[in-house]
Amino acid sequence: MSKQIKNNLSVVLLLLTFILLTGCEFKDIDKDVFVAMIAVDKSDEAGKSYKITLKLYEPTSSFKQMPEPTYSYITESGETISEAVRLLESYSDKKLEFGHSKLIVIGEDLIKEDKSKEILDFFLRRPDIQMISWMAVGRPSAEEIIRLVPQGETAAYPELFNYFDDNGTESQYIITTYLFDFRRNMKSAGVDPILPIIEINHEESHFEINKSIVFRDKKEPYELNSLDTSLFNILSNSTDNADFYIKEDEHYLIVKIDSVKAKKKVQVQNNSNLKLDIEINLSGYIAESKKQLVNKQLPYYNKLFKKEAEKQFNDFFSKMIKGGYDPLGLELDYKSQTFHNRQMSNEEWEEALENAQINIIINPGLKSTGVIQ
Amino acid sequence: MSSLETVKWINEQFKKTNELTQKTLKYEDKHILLFYIKSLIDQELLQKLIIKPFFEMATENQFKLYMQALPQFQEGKSTEQIQLEVMNGNVIIVIQNEIYLLDLKLSNNDQVNSTSVETTIHGSQLGLSDNLMTNINVIRSNYHKPSLCVEYLVKGEINQHKVAIIYDNEKVKNDVLDTIRKRLQNVDKQVITSTTQLNNFLNDKRLSLFPRMIMTERPDRLVYNIAGGKVILVVDGNPQALATPAVFFDFMTTMEDNYHTLLISTFLRVLRYIGLFISLLLPALYVGITSFAPEVFRTELALTIAGSRVGVPFSSFIEVLFMLFFMELLLEASIRLPKAVSATATTVGGLILGTAVTEASLASNIMVIIVSAVAISTFVIPVNEMAFSIRIVRLFFIVITSVFGLAGLTLSFYVLIMYLVRLDSFGEPYLQLYISPKNKSKSEEQI
Repeated sequence: MSKQIKNNLSVVLLLLTFILLTGCEFKDIDKDVFVAMIAVDKSDEAGKSYKITLKLYEPTSSFKQMPEPTYSYITESGETISEAVRLLESYSDKKLEFGHSKLIVIGEDLIKEDKSKEILDFFLRRPDIQMISWMAVGRPSAEEIIRLVPQGETAAYPELFNYFDDNGTESQYIITTYLFDFRRNMKSAGVDPILPIIEINHEESHFEINKSIVFRDKKEPYELNSLDTSLFNILSNSTDNADFYIKEDEHYLIVKIDSVKAKKKVQVQNNSNLKLDIEINLSGYIAESKKQLVNKQLPYYNKLFKKEAEKQFNDFFSKMIKGGYDPLGLELDYKSQTFHNRQMSNEEWEEALENAQINIIINPGLKSTGVIQ
Repeated sequence: MSSLETVKWINEQFKKTNELTQKTLKYEDKHILLFYIKSLIDQELLQKLIIKPFFEMATENQFKLYMQALPQFQEGKSTEQIQLEVMNGNVIIVIQNEIYLLDLKLSNNDQVNSTSVETTIHGSQLGLSDNLMTNINVIRSNYHKPSLCVEYLVKGEINQHKVAIIYDNEKVKNDVLDTIRKRLQNVDKQVITSTTQLNNFLNDKRLSLFPRMIMTERPDRLVYNIAGGKVILVVDGNPQALATPAVFFDFMTTMEDNYHTLLISTFLRVLRYIGLFISLLLPALYVGITSFAPEVFRTELALTIAGSRVGVPFSSFIEVLFMLFFMELLLEASIRLPKAVSATATTVGGLILGTAVTEASLASNIMVIIVSAVAISTFVIPVNEMAFSIRIVRLFFIVITSVFGLAGLTLSFYVLIMYLVRLDSFGEPYLQLYISPKNKSKSEEQI
């Protein structure tokens, strides 16, 4: 055998042995256990601040044979989140893989303690937690939320995800906040992050997600009720559905909106006078009425609708401004159009906002009374 | 040369053959000598064209003129030529001390075969034959242009096979033609039996992964390629021809692309390229994603794969290599097997092995799906030689990916592209979209 052939052969053999040296980075997928959700609660133990609960998927070879969802849970407390997670890793025979965890639930108790930055830090630094995870607040506790498997849930896709992923329900009461979004709003001055609140209806064992909570630095978080949550969703253009109840004269109408377009503009006049121009296009039809309706009267119904909507949005804005919360990012809007050396200070801005002239224009677009006459 | 000398000389030349027949015809004052190899010539034709007229002609001169008028006639000039032509089925006629050659070759292989490798729904179903002359006849009768040139060469030191170079003088690039001629000159092989052998002999690199010449059995493809300025090589006794220079994208087209409407052929082309990428990347992607980055999958899929791997004793890359190995065995076996058995082999291999492997949990269900998807998409690549190359590249990808993960896969894909960019086929860059026919000379362009 000539020397060259020998050399070539040895190179080939060397390459072939490489395949056996795949190293520790190589891990078969069945040696991973996938985390479905993460719950962060306040710990009851003394000296430990966090209680972490993980919901883990149990792998099945065929969902046809096992349509019932199966999960396992592991819980541990720790002074920091990483401490708890490190201990949790010893509770599982497989490697905890956070790549598929889609939801981070934070307990209500923890929210009151203003520790969001500390909590976020772990989630942001850990590489396998995806920045597109959803964030939510769990009431009464995060652990209870993730431990609930509602009836009729299918395997491998927890029902809770359907609320947020825009594939299942499209309710206007559900706010979807991503981890990256939450963190960005938290960091940036001028917009306050908002999170949905997940509650449990124990008797019927299902979730209720129709409230939300606004965070502001050095302030108590402010809870939005269902109506305000839906108004926020309309104003932030994140829903196409809305309902309005009109009770005027002898009419009692329910308007179903199926197309929403909201524009907001912050204008500064004379350096300190603020003017908020809010223009909202709402179109839809009348879904319910206690009285016989006539198609010809649509302009009149539109007028009623306009009046009602204006009132509701005005209430919303005055509530927000009075409380000093800004989930819509009005301040950010202002800051984006003013040079930094001409911007008002925070105090000036708060004062200006309180005195701001709010100009809400509703363009009602009721297209039908909902019945064919 | 006197008559006697000639006879002596011819006998001298062919004394090693035991098949040379010598025949003396003598009638009245006419006298000719015939030499031929009995098994090579058409005896009926010999009787009809030579023997019968010989006895009917009045004089020897008349017969000589008659000979010269025959279309098969050629004059014997050199000794080498005579020797060669006799071995090609010519009859030597010695008449009045002159040597004439008459091509009375008997060929039993001039039937045009129907296409078996490149089958299409549209277009001609007939391919080439095993006979060089018939093949050239087929090409010429599909390409009616006087600029079509055919050059003959004899290659193979021992078996002295005829090779034809066919091209359109007006379209072909001269430097390509020169390179081919030069490389053909340099081929010194003892035995040449197949056209595709030339593919290796004309290649200057011994270890080349991708074919630089496109093998085809379809006359319409040949005509299409000649019109595109390519050079065709045909070896006698082979129903395949080679077209060169060929670029990568030539191997991804079928003749049917031209026969369908634009939308349909675009759809088919897109389908084919998707198939190419699936067969190239899917197994490596499976290894890379399941073992290095499972978060890329949808959750359900990740769980299904994790679940279906329960009980499988091998790592994912061993599993892939194991299943691909059996698939390759199956492919190879079904080519070699007689047609009657090959269907059984595929059933046994594909169906029984597939289900049994998952039942015995030697491989996961998903793996079986992947391997069969890969097998099917390999068949989508229209030219067989490219499919072979892809099969080898795929293995490289799996090995690299199982060591370096998805980053390794990305890098090795770059390496593949870099390799393809560096390749050339007879001076034409391999990864260009198509080969343009002869560039007009600069002076022509200016006019």
